[in-house]
Amino acid sequence: MSGFDVLAVLSNPEFAGMLIAGIQMTFVIAVGSWTLAMSLGFLLLVIRQIPVPIADRFVAAYVSYHRNVPTLVQLILWYFGIYSLLPEELQYWLSDHNAEVIFAIIGLGLCQAAYFTEDLRSGLRSVPKGQVEAARALGHGHISSMRYVLLPQAYRNALPALVNHSVSLFKNSSLAMAIGASELTHAVREVENLSFRTFETYAIATVAYLVCSLLIMAVGALLMKRAQVAGAR
Amino acid sequence: MSVSQDAAPAMIRFSNVNKHYGQYHALVDIDASVSKGEVLVVCGPSGSGKSTLIRTVNRLEEIDSGSITFDGREVSGRVGRADLNRLRSRIGFVFQSFNLFPHLSTLENITLSPIRINGVKKDLARTKAMALLDRVGLAEKANAYPAQLSGGQQQRVAIARALAMEPPAMLFDEPTSALDPEMVGEVLAVMKGLAAEGMTMICVTHEMGFAREVADRIWFMDAGRILETADPETFFTNPQHPRAQRFLSDLRH
Repeated sequence: MSGFDVLAVLSNPEFAGMLIAGIQMTFVIAVGSWTLAMSLGFLLLVIRQIPVPIADRFVAAYVSYHRNVPTLVQLILWYFGIYSLLPEELQYWLSDHNAEVIFAIIGLGLCQAAYFTEDLRSGLRSVPKGQVEAARALGHGHISSMRYVLLPQAYRNALPALVNHSVSLFKNSSLAMAIGASELTHAVREVENLSFRTFETYAIATVAYLVCSLLIMAVGALLMKRAQVAGAR
Repeated sequence: MSVSQDAAPAMIRFSNVNKHYGQYHALVDIDASVSKGEVLVVCGPSGSGKSTLIRTVNRLEEIDSGSITFDGREVSGRVGRADLNRLRSRIGFVFQSFNLFPHLSTLENITLSPIRINGVKKDLARTKAMALLDRVGLAEKANAYPAQLSGGQQQRVAIARALAMEPPAMLFDEPTSALDPEMVGEVLAVMKGLAAEGMTMICVTHEMGFAREVADRIWFMDAGRILETADPETFFTNPQHPRAQRFLSDLRH
């Protein structure tokens, strides 16, 4: 075996195929859990607006659990804990349908929803109180004030944090390896086991993750530029 | 009693209105009314309850007891949400801090509520908004965003935004207090124009020149009470209440 040689890995069709499949699976997990996290984050934001103390406390507890327990532990709890508690029929169905990927998406999505909902909430809270009053004084009800006045401003305020947490979510998809989802890091480990080229395979993974993260940040920068209002500080 | 109060029906009537903030009695037995077409200036020292009073009319502030009617309809007490929103849409309100929507252009600030609340067609709303912008002298700023406008320009847009709902009355809550001195005049000029057209207005303001020139009547408030009601000439030359006398003498010095 010679020195550092990335091509020795990439030119092997079997290894290259495994890595590409890994990248694809990483995307499935990242996009799936991002969509779940964003929808749930928004839902939790809405729940928090309900003027009943239990609603606020529920969301606070949700956020607190998901932000203070390591994501890896949460994933393991889903896959090795909650999975086994499900009715047998459902367990069979899940094991036929990539249970590890489904639980990776659920685990990562639920965890990240806690971050997204907090980002959205702080974005909403930083809209000055006068904006609500102006909307109400013009005759907008709660939903109309939210939709046309508050949320567009909250979105602008929350965007930088949302982009950062989207990158975190993408990187955290590598944790799905621990429950056997065949995403990129999992594929890299397998290629390494077969090729014995540890340095090269992880170098390839590093570049792949870096490129994707930078792409997400570029999209974020583009969105922030589009959301920029003329004359605003 | 001034003549105007008896001549026209009341647009806004306060009956025995009381409001507390905790222990603090913010509005005390307010019993007064504003006639259709009247321009009323509310003045008095800071913390006297002027802003609180006009904010109760569209229920940005709730009252503890008494009642308020607007254009013959009960405002206070149990009012359904839809009715409350409809009521608010018929009362123009101008804030001290403008509160334009920073993410919308000048034109969009003005058209948003007519389109979304009153169901006005977009084209018509735009045409009307342009006419309003022209009226406040800012037609060329239709596509500018609030952050690109001076304070005086923002406040004029805010007035146009309120007028776009075609309200029968306008409430002004210290509309020039947040402005640099050289911008006060342009906002007052717009308000004078409105007054001349017969708009019913309540203006909380410290601009005594405006009060003297434009107001039909003045209410002087202190400690949550209306202490004196007079036409401007009488109020400025011969105030009756000792507190009003002191207030005016402090202003002159």
